[in-house]
Amino acid sequence: MNVGSRIAERLYRNARIGWTASCVWLRYKTPQWWDRLLRRDPAGRDMNAIHQRNADQIFNTAVSMRGMLVKMCQVVGTRSDIFPPQYVKTLSQCHDRLPPRDFATVKQVIEEDFGRPFGEVFSEFSPKAIAAASLAQVHKARLVSGREVAVKVQYPDIEHIIRTDLTASRRVAAIYQRFDSNPMDFLPLLDELQRHLKMELDFRREAQSAERVRGFFVNDPTVRIPEILHEHCTRRVIVMEYVEGVKVNDREALENAGIEYSDLMVRLMRIFNQMILAHGFFHADPHPGNILVNRSPRGKALFTLLDFGLAKELPEGFGLGIFELMFSMMTFNESAMLRAFRELGFETKTGDDSTLLLIARRMIARSDTGTFQGEFTEDMTDEMFEAIRENPVVKVPIDFVLVARAFALLSGIAHTLGQRANALDAMGPAVAG
Amino acid sequence: MASLTYSFDELMSESPVEEPLIAGGVRCHGGYVAGEYVSPRSAVRRPAIEAWRQRLLDDGHPLIHVPEKYVPPNYPNYPQAKYLLKEGVVEPVTRALTIISIVEGFGARIREVRVPDFAMEVKESIEGTAVAHLANGLFEAHARDEAGHRNEGGHKQMWEAARDLGLAKPHVPGDVLLRLMTGGAVGERVRLFPALSEKMENMIVMMANVLIVETFAEDTFNWAQQLLGDPEVSADPQHAAHVVACIARDEVPHVDYLTVALSELRTRTLIGADGKTELSGAEVIDSVFRRQLRGMATQRPRQSRDRLRDEIRQAIADTQRASVVAKRFEDLDSGWAFPHPDDEALDVLLTAA
Repeated sequence: MNVGSRIAERLYRNARIGWTASCVWLRYKTPQWWDRLLRRDPAGRDMNAIHQRNADQIFNTAVSMRGMLVKMCQVVGTRSDIFPPQYVKTLSQCHDRLPPRDFATVKQVIEEDFGRPFGEVFSEFSPKAIAAASLAQVHKARLVSGREVAVKVQYPDIEHIIRTDLTASRRVAAIYQRFDSNPMDFLPLLDELQRHLKMELDFRREAQSAERVRGFFVNDPTVRIPEILHEHCTRRVIVMEYVEGVKVNDREALENAGIEYSDLMVRLMRIFNQMILAHGFFHADPHPGNILVNRSPRGKALFTLLDFGLAKELPEGFGLGIFELMFSMMTFNESAMLRAFRELGFETKTGDDSTLLLIARRMIARSDTGTFQGEFTEDMTDEMFEAIRENPVVKVPIDFVLVARAFALLSGIAHTLGQRANALDAMGPAVAG
Repeated sequence: MASLTYSFDELMSESPVEEPLIAGGVRCHGGYVAGEYVSPRSAVRRPAIEAWRQRLLDDGHPLIHVPEKYVPPNYPNYPQAKYLLKEGVVEPVTRALTIISIVEGFGARIREVRVPDFAMEVKESIEGTAVAHLANGLFEAHARDEAGHRNEGGHKQMWEAARDLGLAKPHVPGDVLLRLMTGGAVGERVRLFPALSEKMENMIVMMANVLIVETFAEDTFNWAQQLLGDPEVSADPQHAAHVVACIARDEVPHVDYLTVALSELRTRTLIGADGKTELSGAEVIDSVFRRQLRGMATQRPRQSRDRLRDEIRQAIADTQRASVVAKRFEDLDSGWAFPHPDDEALDVLLTAA
């Protein structure tokens, strides 16, 4: 891309981001102005339709412009502690529903990074992508050695796009904060996004994460992490063993493959428990497309975990904190739950714990109905985050948000299979005294 | 004769206390009357269990129990653990106490046990028995004792407090949950009496398991009281040992009600899931109990001890006088021999009434 077209691209992106942000802002502000003019109580207004229209517009802009906007939508799609459910539901679609780039683009990246002709590395390469996401897409290929592989290739202009979008987003956020009398602080979110993107854009890190997780399960024949072919990995390309399997939530395919899946969730939860609670390093994006299942010789499920772009290191002791939180909820223990919140890094801006206690009571009240059985369902995290949104003095640690999201995704898989994602069931002694 | 039927609220009722138990700054269950510790939910529950037990004895039925000689001693034993602490090897003891606290907490899952329809699945009446009260207070009280409830800590929090008092808030190793999760392979559960309903068999297996674990734990209580109460190695011997003593006292009704309920079921005829097949309760209970005891008294504790020994050796290896410490540690081993799974004496499970 030459300098002129880069400038044009930048101007276009800035204009489009600015336009979308203005529309969103005006949709919120106009009713407020009307309410003030007509002396109506703004609290009585139903905002759901406005949230949905705004979320739809942001989603459409992100899909057409890709880059950081998609990434930003992905982050928003995980932050149900901050954003209304309409945003979370709509924007979380950005995780796996994006159109791929053309083959020529992919080939160019590979040749640039490998520094040699495409044909010297691959004897076959499927031009159709298996999957496409915000930063990269995956193709099936065969190395000249004859080995079948999966190749993940980063979009070539993604770094430039991200830089442009980040600058534009910061500008928009600054303008919004200047004009709005009660602004929401988006800058921490942008900072968080910037940190994530920096890590995600280096695929060598992803390859290391995959190796690290493989090490956790080296003696567990039920877990497989595709072998990374490091000699073919660069900052923008990962070449790994090609693994086929059934999507974990596809009941019909599981049955057709002769996989006995009655205890599939307990086994899967055990794997994630080990990563999250025990090792403190985990695959933070367990959506169904990232978990394949094959049949063991005994007919049980063998799991393959894919895509370690969102692998996350947890602070020491965090797993124990999560365990204590789940445990306190299961046992209706308010004071233990409050302690767990503090251990996990929940904070109130005022330093007063009464808000945390309110949230604890609300969650315990949910347990009283018998609905908490060690499972962080989507409903449950929604409810917890709704309680937090209603009490904006509470600061939620991002690590907790990611863990809760991972458990909620697993819970979604469980429900599709007609099972439960009970993290405590999959923990240790089933019964003890 | 004392009353043999109680409501849920009665079994849950508390004896009045003058002051609560505060362990390591955490408000726990139970409390004190004239300086004497009173267990939680004991106003009616304890006399009720005693009444059911007495009825069994009066009717001439034996009580099921774990023979003392099969109770494996805690590993590392008291002299070994004390020696480790004196040598500054605190981590294995911290890990052991933390795992005990978590395992105790898991005891709360007993409230999730699904109880069969006794009217359909037991031929004789169970009115006025502990069995009739399992889902009507006994399991729930047990669960609350173990994991705490509302704003009161239970045994989980009390073990944590004892650890923190005795070892001066030690650093809890980050691998505690990992050890717990990789502690044993998840085996496929094999149905022992397929004629019985799954609920009935699962309940019996679970109760037998918990009874054995609770009985085995008695040695752990003695070990922890000695160790955490030892002024040479404990930061707060008086309070730490007292908290463990309170837990031990709270556990007595657990062993008692499980013993009584399983022994009551021995005296009954169990009806199969088809509504017709009849099985002798004694045959079912004895078979399940022996099977569980064989597993829990033989291979499993041996494997657990071997694993712990490796961990402790590893911890010792990090110390300056590693070889001296390792040798002394081994010398202090009591050398307890695990019974062989085929030991016929394992079949001797009943005491005469």
